Amino acid sequence: MAGDPAVQFVAVDKWYGSFQVLRGIDLSVGRGERIVICGPSGSGKSTLIRCINGLERHGAGRILVNGTEITGQSRTIHALRQDVGMVFQHFNLFPHLTVIGNCTLALTKSRKIGGKEARDIAMHYLARVRIPEQADKYPAQLSGGQQQRVAIARALCLNPKIMLFDEPTSALDPEMIREVLDVMVSLAQDGMTMLCVTHEMGFAKTVADRVVFMDQGLIVEQAPPEDFFANPREERSRHFLRQLLN
Amino acid sequence: MTYGQILWGIFEGFRVTGLVTVLGLAYAIPFAFIFGILQHIATGWKGAPVTIFIEFWRSSPVIVLLFAFYYTLPLFGVTLSALSVAAMVLGMNIGGYGSQAVRAALQALDRGQTEAGLAIGLTRSQVLAYVELPQAIMAMVPTFMNQFIQLIKSTALVSLITLTDMTYRAKEISQIVFDPVAVYSALLLAYLIICYPVTVMGRHIEKRVTKGRRASDAI
Amino acid sequence: MQFDTAYALETVPIILQAAGTTIGVAVASCFGAALLGFAWEILRRSGRIMSYVMRFVIDCIRSTPVLAQIYFIYFVLPYYGIRLPALLVGILCLSFYYSGYLAEVFRAGIDMIHHGQMEAAKALGLSRRHTIAFIIAPQMLRNIAAPLGNYFVSILKATPYLAVIAVPEMLGSALDIAAETFRYAEPLFVSAVIFLGLAFVISQLVAQMERRLMASHRR
Repeated sequence: MAGDPAVQFVAVDKWYGSFQVLRGIDLSVGRGERIVICGPSGSGKSTLIRCINGLERHGAGRILVNGTEITGQSRTIHALRQDVGMVFQHFNLFPHLTVIGNCTLALTKSRKIGGKEARDIAMHYLARVRIPEQADKYPAQLSGGQQQRVAIARALCLNPKIMLFDEPTSALDPEMIREVLDVMVSLAQDGMTMLCVTHEMGFAKTVADRVVFMDQGLIVEQAPPEDFFANPREERSRHFLRQLLN
Repeated sequence: MTYGQILWGIFEGFRVTGLVTVLGLAYAIPFAFIFGILQHIATGWKGAPVTIFIEFWRSSPVIVLLFAFYYTLPLFGVTLSALSVAAMVLGMNIGGYGSQAVRAALQALDRGQTEAGLAIGLTRSQVLAYVELPQAIMAMVPTFMNQFIQLIKSTALVSLITLTDMTYRAKEISQIVFDPVAVYSALLLAYLIICYPVTVMGRHIEKRVTKGRRASDAI
Repeated sequence: MQFDTAYALETVPIILQAAGTTIGVAVASCFGAALLGFAWEILRRSGRIMSYVMRFVIDCIRSTPVLAQIYFIYFVLPYYGIRLPALLVGILCLSFYYSGYLAEVFRAGIDMIHHGQMEAAKALGLSRRHTIAFIIAPQMLRNIAAPLGNYFVSILKATPYLAVIAVPEMLGSALDIAAETFRYAEPLFVSAVIFLGLAFVISQLVAQMERRLMASHRR
């Protein structure tokens, strides 16, 4: 349905045992919007985006992705994962497969695309993230920045409508953060709907349409970056920004 | 009889030893993988029947299992040859141990691998087949080698249910040749000749496997 | 022929009596195996050549079936005039066989202690003897406790092998009863159940002990 928002959270709660990690989350993300989610650790930001592709199940409330509600059914979740790509903090590349093998695995097994065509698609996206020459290497032979770019390419190969990033640069050495952020910026410029959990505030200022600040399972404040960074409304947001800038 | 003749006589039982081993593997390998994977996937109380089945075969003394099945199966109308009973009991017993190696190897994998596989839209069984097992297999190999040796050694028990393996032959020969030192040292030597190379090979493979690629190396 | 529950229950007290022997033999063998295994490990660390020799010796012990070793020791000792009661021979056999495995446990237990411990002790001016007694030994004992407990269960499951040399443990007792009445199923079933019960209880105790030891270990 064309008018549906890309992602919608309606009064979503989630508990780990007795600990409530998401409290009454209401969030709407439009198509082509770029959202940066930030907050102190333990605020539930990773959990929030992991609920979008079903890696975590929400306890109460509703989550809709591209108009379809996430129910307990595995078929629904399996279908929605075809449209939602995810990039992890620790890359999670498959070490026993080559770079191109990592990218073509889902294409050949899930989409049943033939080998040659899958390889062409994979090479297209590896070129997009600027490492086509590494196609036949194994992940262990690449640097952290290169591995994360492969992980981005792997997710892009399925042509997702939404990309989720869970602290994509937190595990990288400083000199490699730039190359990954550049790829993410170019993705944003192409109009990809993105939800990104990150501490990279420079990236937020450049690319984000909206910054969502979370603390202790609540969305404390949402605002465009220029408003959020210049004039945070809430005391908790101010406190967080002060700590970040130190 | 010379020592060489005694040794040769004992090796005449190798056919049965080898047969029970190979047939036992036909039970052990599928059991280990199927139930190891089941135990890995089934969480909470759903895993209980699987665990009970595994523990029955693994935690019972194998010699008791062997006698129990050998003598009680006919009571339930099941007439199997001693060879079949032996292969099944020994195989299932070793398979029980093997299932723990399979499960441990799967559980030792970084959870992020499973999540990444699911995130790119593979089904649970596809993630198992293409992401988890290929990586876990390398970790299972050393334990499997040990269990293979354990299986070969446990075949000595079949001599107690009238199967003419190497141990049975040794006991037969000791009735003719009244030299227990020669006969039983030859028996030990016979098993040594078979198992020692496998032990050494197992250690080589273990060293090579721990040098192999793992997810933890990539970070 | 059906399973006679009443008869099975009759056999329980007789077999339970033998359970005492089973446990006693297992405990004694565990001690023996630990002492011997510790000695092997100390020997192994005493020199370069010794480490190769001990590796070979331990591989040999682990490459032959315990049944074959039992036959060897049981028939060879009297040949040289050494007449020991079957019970003692059984304990000797199990101690010897499992010493090979426990040597490995001691090796891992000692290796696991970070070499920084020795350095810290030296820096604090502790003598070698004090270092071993107060720093190394307690940590080693904590490291080996769980594997030792698991091997105790293995030794317990190996005691029925001693039935072949007429040690009055549970399997032997069950077979004796069966030989008189020609009904094998019930006594074997009872002995299997008691074994499973013992193995389960002791495994749980070992797991609990492991948890308690690890709890004080981690911060």
